[in-house]
Amino acid sequence: MITYQTFTLKNGLKVIHHHDKTTPMVVVNTIYNVGARDETPHKTGFAHLFEHLMFGGSKHIKNYDTPLQLAGGECNAFTNNDITNYYNTLPAQNLETALWLESDRMLELAFTQKSLDVQRQVVIEEFKQRYLNQPYGDVWLKFRPLIYKQHPYQWPTIGKNIDHIANATMQNVKAFFYKHYGPQNATLVIGGNVEFDTVKNLVQKWYNDIPSREKYIRNIPAEPKQTEERRLTIEREVPNNALYMAFRMGNRLTPEHYAGDLLSDILSGGKSSRLYLELVKNNPMFSNLSTFLTAGWEDGLFIISGHLLPNITFKKAEQAIWNQIRKLIEQSIDKTELTKVKNKFETAKAFQEQNLLNRVMNIAMYDQMGQLDEINNERQKYDLISANDLINFAKKTFVKTNVSILTIKAK
Amino acid sequence: MNRTIAPKYTKAQSLDIEFPHKIELSNGISLYHLSEVQDDTVKLDIVWDAGSKYQEKPLVASFTNKLLLAGTTDLNAQQISEKFDFLGGYIAHDIDKDQAGVTLYGLNDKISDIFNVFNEAFADAVFPETEIEKLVEIKKNNYKVSQEKVSTLCHKEFNKHIFGTQTAYGRVAELKDFDNLNINDLKNYYQYYLNTKPVLFLVGKVSNQFIEQLNNWTKTIGQKKISLPNQAFIQKQGKVVIHKKDAIQSAIRIGKLLFTKTHPDYYKFQVLNTILGGYFGSRLMANIREDKGYTYGIGSGLSVLEDAGYFFVSTEVAKDVTDLTIKEIYNEIEKLQTQLVSDQELEKVKNYLLGEFLRQSDGPIAIMENYKNIYFNNLSENYYSDFIKAVHSVTPKQLQDIAIKHLNKNTMLEVVAGNV
Repeated sequence: MITYQTFTLKNGLKVIHHHDKTTPMVVVNTIYNVGARDETPHKTGFAHLFEHLMFGGSKHIKNYDTPLQLAGGECNAFTNNDITNYYNTLPAQNLETALWLESDRMLELAFTQKSLDVQRQVVIEEFKQRYLNQPYGDVWLKFRPLIYKQHPYQWPTIGKNIDHIANATMQNVKAFFYKHYGPQNATLVIGGNVEFDTVKNLVQKWYNDIPSREKYIRNIPAEPKQTEERRLTIEREVPNNALYMAFRMGNRLTPEHYAGDLLSDILSGGKSSRLYLELVKNNPMFSNLSTFLTAGWEDGLFIISGHLLPNITFKKAEQAIWNQIRKLIEQSIDKTELTKVKNKFETAKAFQEQNLLNRVMNIAMYDQMGQLDEINNERQKYDLISANDLINFAKKTFVKTNVSILTIKAK
Repeated sequence: MNRTIAPKYTKAQSLDIEFPHKIELSNGISLYHLSEVQDDTVKLDIVWDAGSKYQEKPLVASFTNKLLLAGTTDLNAQQISEKFDFLGGYIAHDIDKDQAGVTLYGLNDKISDIFNVFNEAFADAVFPETEIEKLVEIKKNNYKVSQEKVSTLCHKEFNKHIFGTQTAYGRVAELKDFDNLNINDLKNYYQYYLNTKPVLFLVGKVSNQFIEQLNNWTKTIGQKKISLPNQAFIQKQGKVVIHKKDAIQSAIRIGKLLFTKTHPDYYKFQVLNTILGGYFGSRLMANIREDKGYTYGIGSGLSVLEDAGYFFVSTEVAKDVTDLTIKEIYNEIEKLQTQLVSDQELEKVKNYLLGEFLRQSDGPIAIMENYKNIYFNNLSENYYSDFIKAVHSVTPKQLQDIAIKHLNKNTMLEVVAGNV
């Protein structure tokens, strides 16, 4: 059970306090409601580049990291298609240092040309390291545009290509900041060994004078329903042929998410899962095979992907997956198998919630999804799912007119 | 309110380090237990001296470890996995060069049943041929994929030359080694597990009956001592290049054989390393990432194993700046040898390290990890408090002396993998 208390400042900043007396630490987590989905098609990768610039000094503080490190703190951040999240972990008594730093960069960045020049280069090297200089690294660069024709989920967080990052200007940076980085567009979560009153006083002290800016109203066209099977083959110098199948499904906020999550575990979660047993182990066609959800907040995907064994054709491998899906739908799921994945979920959840940073980030995510009051109902949501729900999900999702298939052919 | 003035902060207090409770089980086997846990989670590590340095043939130690619970006379791998999964149990097989073992994760109302499944599978492991073949296929595939990465190529080559290819630490598996494995290798290696003393680490609220269950299990384990492998390390000095066609980034690793955690310079060296490349604000990050933008990340560290430790700097950089980066790495090392670290920078690093101690001991699982560090490195129980004292008291002059003594450029091994 995650407990919390909330308050909101006049400028629109929502603050959530989570008390944990067992830790010597405090986590200060700021989530901004902006991600790669808010970019325009010719300036992609910008939300993530901007995240780097947030560490390049703010209006009154030249260097972000040094004061935090002096106070024994550490920080990091990540950007995804939906949100951008910044977090600091430091000894609880030094909470104010983090609030001073975070509030100043919410007030205004330093906007130095040097920071922009360097971080463009750093992000370009990140692009190369993660996406270009790795076998199979560019899969999502190629796959997303096949799946999404309208929605900004058609590009990955890093951006469509290096040029978009190289061409980012200071004017772009400033405009992005004022559009997305105001208090009305953020949630501040403070968790750890600090009292509510202390938190409230210090947050008011450092954040009250930040002006509210114009509320950003997101207006992203929904991706139309898919009506045809889509295919793309690319050739790469990689060791094995690889197959990727993406099925459209409900987004993270829909009940489908929970059904999809359990079904994914039934299909590929561990060594007693169906696809592992059938297609990796007993009648081997793949050297590895996994399923997962992208769990986007606006649209979801159920992904099945794997590397083919050398003597197996794409046709045969794909057919084998369809056969497994048919078998699932025809023969259903017995009680033992369903209980199994629910039990595994319960254990994983308990371990995950042990960690203060995980709890604090979860609170931030749920709040930005507009589901804070649901945060302790996850287990119940999984518990209520029946075998029938999973079969209905499978029938609806795993159809040919709802799939995009990418094959990577080894050169 | 003046936003240019930083709020007052205080240094992290030195911790009261909590130690697990030691319980002597049968056959001289020890259990270390931390029971102060707020929730229902239980984590049990069972660790043997069965890491890869003890193997006589490449891959045998890791394959034995991975297949320990993959079949008995009565149960196949699938049946065993199903039992674990149904109980909501997670099993991790852990192996490094020194130790190997199994970790069980579960909730306290099921942990006894989860352990029973482990016991049943472990006691009568038969290493089915089909499971071996399957794992060979999967690992060969992973191997081929990782051989396409400059970071892997660089790391492996570095590993060979830092210890010497004739030593147990320096040996690296090749593709052909996968096909030379056979069932007897694994069955023989399994005898280590049956006949030598493991050590157990338990985090969680459990019943006395569960402790008794562990005690009963230890009655079945032998007490043999295993012979230590030959580890006469010979580090290569100078440059090694691995060519990788079409690579747009180069992986760089520079370092040297150094010492383990019991060396008198260890604490001071850790402070020095932090300044050089041990945290986000380090000099290497400031210079090579935050000033020049050559890389997404660069870092340095002291990697310590049971019989040796080595220092390393590691990064991946744009192909065209490979040589410039190497030059800058040596420049940063030289600066540590020729100029005193400022009081301001030292203050920052000390405070950061003290905060890092707190972060690394937050929660019972983290506290147990700290204890495992003390246990496996044969350190005294004062290790962490001594470390904190040493961090507080180290001076700029001492750091300069350490840099001169241990980071001589001519003693370094330098490996580059890329299109160079």
